[in-house]
Amino acid sequence: MKLRRLVQLTLQNLRTSRVRTLLAMVGIVVGTALLMFFLGLGQGLRERVLNRIFPVNQLELEPRSVQLFGTQQVVGQAPLDDSRIKQLAQLPGVVRAFGKRKSAFPARLWGGRELLGYNLFTEAFFDGMPVEILRGELEAFEKGDGTSAAAKRPLRCDVDLDCPVGAACQDAICQRVVWSQHWRESPVLALPCGKNDDCQSGTCADGHCQSAQAPPLVRCLLEKSAGNGRDLEFDAERGLTARACDAAGGWCKTAVPCPERMYCAADHPDTTLGYCEEPLPAVINPLLLEVFNTDMARSLGAVPVGSLAVLYGVRFHVAFGDSFFTQDAARPMQQYKQAQVVGFSRKAPELGVALPLPVVQHWNHRLRGDDPRGPYDAVLLETADNEAVPQVFTAAESLGFSLSRKSQAARTAGAVIFFTALGLVLLALVVLAVAGVQIAQTFAMLVHERRREIAVLRAIGATGSDVAVLILGEAALLGLLGGIAGVTLAWLGALGVDAAAQHWLAKVPFLPEGFFVFPTWSAPLAMAVSLVCCVLGAAVPARRASRLDPARVLAEA
Amino acid sequence: MTVAAAVEARGLRRQFPLDGGGTVTALDDVDLHIAPGEIVAVVGRSGAGKSTLLNLIGAIDRGYEGELTVFGQELRRLSERELARFRNRQIGFVFQSFNLLPGLTVGDNVMLPASFGADMPDVLVRRRAHHLLDEVGLGDRFNQPPLQLSGGERQRVAIARALLLEPPLLVCDEPTGSLDTATADQILQLFREIREKRGTTLVMVTHDPAVARSADRLVRLERGRIVGTTLEAP
Repeated sequence: MKLRRLVQLTLQNLRTSRVRTLLAMVGIVVGTALLMFFLGLGQGLRERVLNRIFPVNQLELEPRSVQLFGTQQVVGQAPLDDSRIKQLAQLPGVVRAFGKRKSAFPARLWGGRELLGYNLFTEAFFDGMPVEILRGELEAFEKGDGTSAAAKRPLRCDVDLDCPVGAACQDAICQRVVWSQHWRESPVLALPCGKNDDCQSGTCADGHCQSAQAPPLVRCLLEKSAGNGRDLEFDAERGLTARACDAAGGWCKTAVPCPERMYCAADHPDTTLGYCEEPLPAVINPLLLEVFNTDMARSLGAVPVGSLAVLYGVRFHVAFGDSFFTQDAARPMQQYKQAQVVGFSRKAPELGVALPLPVVQHWNHRLRGDDPRGPYDAVLLETADNEAVPQVFTAAESLGFSLSRKSQAARTAGAVIFFTALGLVLLALVVLAVAGVQIAQTFAMLVHERRREIAVLRAIGATGSDVAVLILGEAALLGLLGGIAGVTLAWLGALGVDAAAQHWLAKVPFLPEGFFVFPTWSAPLAMAVSLVCCVLGAAVPARRASRLDPARVLAEA
Repeated sequence: MTVAAAVEARGLRRQFPLDGGGTVTALDDVDLHIAPGEIVAVVGRSGAGKSTLLNLIGAIDRGYEGELTVFGQELRRLSERELARFRNRQIGFVFQSFNLLPGLTVGDNVMLPASFGADMPDVLVRRRAHHLLDEVGLGDRFNQPPLQLSGGERQRVAIARALLLEPPLLVCDEPTGSLDTATADQILQLFREIREKRGTTLVMVTHDPAVARSADRLVRLERGRIVGTTLEAP
């Protein structure tokens, strides 16, 4: 049978039984729409929600441990040192591997007055990370953020806040700042030490670690000691450089303040004597802003922070050795320091701050007695792509690693989304199967009604297979039209759901711009399934039609 | 000189199974010779076997016993596909109730037989359909739906459809049964013209004496048997 004629006859038949075919199509349209909708939703939840919270090609592993006497104990394994990290880095599918240390010392932080008008106080948790691991991401993030385009025309200023986002006040002029450059392992830092302390890349002298390569630290004096730290003001902490002024070890102020971008970090909270140093470079997770904007800001009655760019250069105070919850270190062992946000990374802890690895190692050593060159707590593996993750995990598992709580949560959430989406897709397939049965009934009726027409076609030369092709072609066209309508409906439904979510769920954390991602294959797949359901549904009636005895039907007439 | 038969039946018998078991004989021991170009009217009471004979000759039923050849072709030996092709090329059907497809235009209805197996180019099919509609006086109705035509016009469209592939045999089941006398006369006149122009053989089943009289020969059936043939219609 000629294709053109087949299409013509098919269209004619659909036109003739317009109402019935439209009714039969309803099930197919609904089923296809549901299939497409759930495919898009599943993919969207994975890509836009899950992957936003948990990076796709990243796996955080910890040495396998057991619960023993109420604490987690790593058993029967070599410590997670550089050689084991290297071993993991060589696994197939792994692009990079690096260890990180979590802070084990008491600490708290406060800040935010620059943005909110008042300070927020919280217990502080840090991840120590090798700086080279984050640098590329920080640079890319900053470049993509467009902040370096700020301050094109010279602006006079007194403090950083006078300058546009992405610029800082230097020499009373707003200067463009590349914040990612401040993420480095050896900023000018005075890390306090005792005579038995290990200073890693230097020696302990005058109560502070001194590196032979770094410029000598400069002593300074503050107007007053920090006390409980609540009244510390960033601008008042610039301090004045000091010189030794008597043989007993006393220090006298000079007229020269600490250098630009530095402040006077007191040796401990009860002294005015300190060293000029740079703020600690801090990297935070972008999700922190989302949590703040959606949950915290509301409960605190604060104004949500517009964008991450606003947070570049924001300073806050950290009290090392001081805690809201646990035993404080002795006052002389405590130290208040400034930290400054220099970038954003999804590798940073969601509810904490990433600092250069040596800083965390140093304080773990000073306040907890940990070996500063000791093993890492966890290892982050970057894989080539998402597909490599299961294979990498299996290999790492055989080396004695298990997923960190974060990666485990990602895995669980991923599995929940996968199986939920799978269940919904199966539901849509059931709807399509029911629609297929409805199609079968409709076509059985149509074949019965058109028996005479079919007999005439047979009489003028149509074979049984011509008749079957005609019926199946009609079903295929119905499936195709139903598929197109279903896909369109799903797409419109997705737009509606997204619009409603933006309207009603605007204050929910991690709300994506849209819940749906329709992969390029989803529409053809949904239409193909719709087409197959219709063709399968019409198969039995088509077979019956092809076997119709024209002589008998014409005789009945 | 021997003339090859258009239709040749010898000892033709057709039985149908009954629902409750057993069989009913619709045709019994029928011998029939129809020459090419002949117009034959098959008459008889209802249930005499007229339509059964027509279906057998028209190759839409081949559950017969005995011998039946149409243009020398023993129908029982043909496969399902070959039989469909044979009907397509050799036989044109004209039904009492026209059986035009309402969703297609007049022209598309006429061109319908070319959809099945014919290798004729579309342009040629269209040209021929126009020509045939001109011949039956409906040249200006090519794009109209058949439902807008009168009964006589619809039957003329059906005749044009039957003639599209120029079959040598037209099988007509009560071709004037749904028409008034004047229109029926026009159709019969058309049949005669077709035979004159193309040499087409016509086999018609009819109850109408006027139609029967217009045939070259009458075949009278009674209880499945031929009870009389007349060489010239009375």
